[in-house]
Amino acid sequence: MRQRLETWLTGPRLLTLGIVGALAWSLSRVEWQQPIAHTGGGAAALQVLLALFPPELSGEFLRICVVASWHTMAYAVAGMSLAVLLGLPLGVLASGVLAERQSAGRRVAAASVRLLLAAMRSVHELVWALLFVAAVGLSPMAAILAMAIPYAGILGRIYAELLQDVPSEPIAALKTTGASPLRVLLYGYLPMALPDLLSYTFYRLECGIRAAAIMSFVGIDGIGFQIELSLADLLFRQVWTLLIFLVALVVAVDWWSTRVRRSLAY
Amino acid sequence: MNAVRPVRTGEQVVTPEPLITIKSAAKVYGQNRGLSPLSLGINAGERVALVGPSGSGKTTLLRLLAGSLVADGGAGAVRIDGRAPASLRPGPELAGLVGIVSQRFDLVPHLPALHNVLAGRLGYWSLARSVASLVWPLERRAARDALAQVGLADKINERPAHLSGGEQQRVAIARMMMQSPLVVLADEPVASLDPARAEEVMELLVGLTAAQNRTLIASLHTASLIRRHFTRVIGLRESRLQFDLPGEQLTDGILGELYDLGAGEDMEPLAGLAARDG
Ligand SMILES: Nc1ncnc2c1ncn2[C@@H]1O[C@H](COP(=O)(O)OP(=O)(O)O)[C@@H](O)[C@H]1O
Ligand SMILES: [Mg+2]
Repeated sequence: MRQRLETWLTGPRLLTLGIVGALAWSLSRVEWQQPIAHTGGGAAALQVLLALFPPELSGEFLRICVVASWHTMAYAVAGMSLAVLLGLPLGVLASGVLAERQSAGRRVAAASVRLLLAAMRSVHELVWALLFVAAVGLSPMAAILAMAIPYAGILGRIYAELLQDVPSEPIAALKTTGASPLRVLLYGYLPMALPDLLSYTFYRLECGIRAAAIMSFVGIDGIGFQIELSLADLLFRQVWTLLIFLVALVVAVDWWSTRVRRSLAY
Repeated sequence: MNAVRPVRTGEQVVTPEPLITIKSAAKVYGQNRGLSPLSLGINAGERVALVGPSGSGKTTLLRLLAGSLVADGGAGAVRIDGRAPASLRPGPELAGLVGIVSQRFDLVPHLPALHNVLAGRLGYWSLARSVASLVWPLERRAARDALAQVGLADKINERPAHLSGGEQQRVAIARMMMQSPLVVLADEPVASLDPARAEEVMELLVGLTAAQNRTLIASLHTASLIRRHFTRVIGLRESRLQFDLPGEQLTDGILGELYDLGAGEDMEPLAGLAARDG
């Protein structure tokens, strides 16, 4: 019995047990007795909900919404484009597919890139934004960089995995044509991984819209900024309209990604 | 060491040495014996069939020849035209020396037949040409000719998923023709095809390598195909050489004994067995 317990308690299992234990402990420390909403919160929530009907639909406000959506979308696309430009090469390096033959040096190089990617994505975009604002002040560039860095870390990590998961037979066949790793990447890994790479990138763009919307506090215009203004004036009907525009943007990206993926299906 | 040799379309140079020399090449995978020490010489222009039950070492031998696997004693145990394929870096020298056609599943499903065929030129192309060709295919005419020779001229823009097994294998042969190496290897190229398709594909492979005066080494399991198309047949079993005969001397009895079947039994079911063989 002891013997079996010892063989069962391998490193990864111990780690899992430890993490689950820590989670359970932290949950037990939460003071559930405290009311979740402050006193009078129920009445305020009701007021917000009732304000949904009807959302503010005046021509002038709709115009503000369209411009704000346009800005949010532009920041999201700019941030994501930069994230893809950074994340793709880093992901390729982290995947190790460029190694001609396995060697200790190559493994160390790939591991260092993976570490860099982890560092980039372990800091939230809002924290990056604070750092950039401290460094260069309020500017659109700060917002774009703050989004691009953690997103590149996430994309690079996922790209590396998608490249490694490509079927091995076509890759082996390309190698026997005397093609170098970079050519095998172009004619094997990338075409085979492309549908998944795109699909994941679009999904991340949806998250990027959400992130761009809350970047308003570093001074960029957009849906988030408008929500802030309306909230300050307690104009909840306007808030709901803005949220509807935000949802519409995400739905539009979803529709676009479906179209693109369908055109790539083989 | 010879200089980098361009793709040769003319006659084979006559040399006293065999084109391929294998000197006590062996391969052990951890606990498994892939190939026991084996020595062989193969002359230019020969067409060699490799036979043997699943796990007998055929794929190991072919991968040693292709240079995608290094023999335990070092890359020098296998030499083609004086060069050790396993020690060559990717590039024109390796591309011109040896290439391999495998079972199905080795085309890139997401690229049209045209690009799959053009991939045979990747060993020769500069990086700039390789990139450009993805968008605007270069050497389109050569690729179309190669596809026409395997009877697929009308399938040039078709993706492999829309092609039958036999058609996919013919695309792989067209890619091999674009590469045009001195030695053409084929690992069970007809194993997953029905007998009629197997006959067609084997006919193409043999005909085209003979036309370009190349040397062919292929693993397969069908005695009738071997007698018709191959000049020599090498039998492997449990990673050892069992026989080395002229192709026309292979009888169903010899093959049945190698595979542990009763002598004279019908050999066709072996094609089915082979389909499951890695
Ligand atoms: N990558 C590998 N790892 C471990 N064992 C292997 C590997 N490849 C082949 N083998 C073993 O080597 C032996 C020869 O295999 P293989 O050359 O594939 O034979 P064949 O192609 O004739 O079926 C078999 O016993 C097989 O299990
Ligand atoms: Mg095999």
